[in-house]
Amino acid sequence: MSPRKKTSVNRRDFLKSAAAGTAALAAAPAARAKQPAPEGGTRAAVAISPEAELRALPNAEILTAERTGSDFMVDVIKSLKIDYVCSNPGSSFRGLHESIINYGGNRSPEFITCCHEESSVGMAHGYAKIEGKPLLVMAHGTVGLQHAAMAVYNAYCDRVPVLIIGGNIMDATKRISQVEWAHSAQDAAAVLRDYVKWDDLPLSLPHFAESTVRAYKMAMTPPMMPVLLIVDAELQENPIAADASPKVPRVMPYGPPQGDSGSVDEAARLLVAAESPVLIAGRAARSPAGLVHLVELAETLEIPVIDQMDRMNFPTRHRLNQTERGPALIGNADVILGLEVNDFWGTVHSFRDQMERTARSIARPDAKTISINSANLFVKSNYQNFQRYPEVDIDIPADAEATLPSLTEAVKRRLDASRKSAFADRGAKLAAAHDESFEQARDAAAVAWDASPISTARLAAELWAQIKTEDWSLVSHATFVSRWPLRLWAFEKHYQYIGAQGGYGIGYNAPASVGAALANRKHGRLSVNIQCDGDLMYAPGVLWTAAHHRIPLLTVMHNNRAYHQEVMQVQIMANRHSRGLDRACIGTTISDPNIDFAKLAQSMGVYAEGPISDPKELGPAITRAIQVVKRGEPVLLDVLTQPR
Amino acid sequence: MRLFASTTREVFFTAALIVAGILALIPDANAQARGDAQNGKKVFEKLGCFRCHGSAGEGMPQTGKLAGSPKIGGTKLSLRDFLQSVRKPTGQMPPFLTTQVSDEELSDVYAFLHSAASQPKLELPSSASSKDGEHLYTAFGCYECHGYQGQGSVQTGGSRIGPPQIPYSGFVAYIRQPAGEMPPYTPKALSDAQLADIYVFLQSRPQAAPSKSIPQLNQ
Repeated sequence: MSPRKKTSVNRRDFLKSAAAGTAALAAAPAARAKQPAPEGGTRAAVAISPEAELRALPNAEILTAERTGSDFMVDVIKSLKIDYVCSNPGSSFRGLHESIINYGGNRSPEFITCCHEESSVGMAHGYAKIEGKPLLVMAHGTVGLQHAAMAVYNAYCDRVPVLIIGGNIMDATKRISQVEWAHSAQDAAAVLRDYVKWDDLPLSLPHFAESTVRAYKMAMTPPMMPVLLIVDAELQENPIAADASPKVPRVMPYGPPQGDSGSVDEAARLLVAAESPVLIAGRAARSPAGLVHLVELAETLEIPVIDQMDRMNFPTRHRLNQTERGPALIGNADVILGLEVNDFWGTVHSFRDQMERTARSIARPDAKTISINSANLFVKSNYQNFQRYPEVDIDIPADAEATLPSLTEAVKRRLDASRKSAFADRGAKLAAAHDESFEQARDAAAVAWDASPISTARLAAELWAQIKTEDWSLVSHATFVSRWPLRLWAFEKHYQYIGAQGGYGIGYNAPASVGAALANRKHGRLSVNIQCDGDLMYAPGVLWTAAHHRIPLLTVMHNNRAYHQEVMQVQIMANRHSRGLDRACIGTTISDPNIDFAKLAQSMGVYAEGPISDPKELGPAITRAIQVVKRGEPVLLDVLTQPR
Repeated sequence: MRLFASTTREVFFTAALIVAGILALIPDANAQARGDAQNGKKVFEKLGCFRCHGSAGEGMPQTGKLAGSPKIGGTKLSLRDFLQSVRKPTGQMPPFLTTQVSDEELSDVYAFLHSAASQPKLELPSSASSKDGEHLYTAFGCYECHGYQGQGSVQTGGSRIGPPQIPYSGFVAYIRQPAGEMPPYTPKALSDAQLADIYVFLQSRPQAAPSKSIPQLNQ
């Protein structure tokens, strides 16, 4: 039997049959044995009780049901303790939608109304990086999943768990003409399969229950990734008996994969013996514990740490944070340890993008390299986000955070007085170098301090001056503002930074910041978003979501009126061809007319000010904005900025 | 091209073997004649020497707390001392080991540094206009990587150029044939006169106030 037939349940015919059968049972109990058992997903509904009025009117069509498959689905979802479901409504999951808000009481999960599926997944992306667990996203059949695709790819590349349910109508004979045909697919998951960890098409409620719990466990196991369930509309909407109780499976999480003891011990041996080692952290700290473990290892070895900040791995003002000296340290290192580094090869090489693209190693030829990376446990073929193959001496396919305690213990076992003394000397030099780098960053930030458009350094400094005494969380990435927050602010806690897109897909930041702010709300944190203009224009409706759901968030625009990365790319081509140097703005800038982001935000119920181009006006505007955010509202300040 | 460079090096080393016994007696100032300057330029760029020393070895002045780097174009060091300074530098420069760059290649670099220094020195024309330079700086995209004030950015890789950190000759040499990531600006697309305008505009950029004097930078 084909899957379609298995899930094909004619609920109207079934209800008639059930009603008629029950009426017959009342008259002739012996007929009970002759009741045909419906196939597949509705087997649990055999014992359904018809409505009382139908007993009186046995020929009437049954139009209501007290309990449907989607109610049971909510039971399963609640068992996973999922707080929110982000969704743009779609009829292919109307059953589940209604069950969540009524049967489930719109609590755990609470429905968060989104204006675009890319916003739904983007919010889940940001939320998970703060809260450490996934949101549920519901997306409409075909069109909703296609809208969601880019954000799913970002989450996949960024190793973030998201639980996605896509609607579909499998039985062709149950589709209303035109629209439902366009919104149904034979293999609805295909559009996302290349960049989700796992997907399934449950054919019954028990199947849904097991697959949902399995999907959740897989999503939450490093390397974490989105998972997808395609849930047939008939399975959602078919009734189940009031006394039926399909089983909700227990959720027993997998343990994170740890590095094997032999490799870990060899890594420790190299690190202890090294004279100039360096530690590079990518997504090393996937939870607050990871940050603590990393600090312990670094302090045990007195090893310089280069934080690539794909997560908040290491305190920015820790004396061993040597991020600003990255290339020089790598070039001088005799042992290089990479923890969940996304592109190890690219980290130890430089690449030159001229007419002939060339690369060279920046590491010493005799340097020993060690990598602990869970990404090697799950690699797909089509999308090339796995980066260039690195030749690593000790390559440990494991979760770095889970492996760090055993690595630190192995290091401590090998320490003797001589090495401790050498480490102390190294640590003192590194502390001095850290202080020097910090002073250099401050000096560099002073350049163009009074410039208009406002320098990104000043934007960061003005923000820091006012949030430093708050319990703050930067919920945007800092790449496009020249990493100024990371260079000037004192990041200490894991939730204070969440990294970037993962797949470098623009349109991530606005929804991810709102999702992260949603997670921060219950903790009372001040969420701060430095928002690029081009990114916001992908799906600005997420501002309405923030206003509608009263999500407090301070958004400060980095409005350079351009897709600036692409301005530079076109400039490279124009220079290479020695023509039209002044035309790189065509197709890459966002001006004429200039977008009034304050009005845009205000139109969606968000308090907003701007555009602000005078640097002296920025500080007072931030003061006013923070007061509004503290009332529990989102705010947007439109700030005209230098390009980077 | 590569074959030619290789052959040149082979000839050099054959000759070097023959005269090895008397090499120490020959003034090292002539050493550049024995190296392949063209290959030396490639090595100089491949190793990233230009990042600190400029594309022609013109050096970088100290700015604030940022240490400068010495001028090495036309270095007065003997080849032997030059090799020593690269293998075991005394300052902030990282050492370059024989596994990273051979003596043969460093000899080529040495030759390149002398050839670069022998290029005619460009004078900044007195007619250069800061106002025109400001317009050109923006219109021709310099601001994209370096910022409207030439402040630079760690994200774009554009260094701080306002005010310029290198002399006019080095500025022109780098822009015409950049050693790093910067796209080249050829005379066909950007004339020498326009380049001079941009340079004087950058010269007019104010020095930054001390960071200690800015409260927001001392939090």
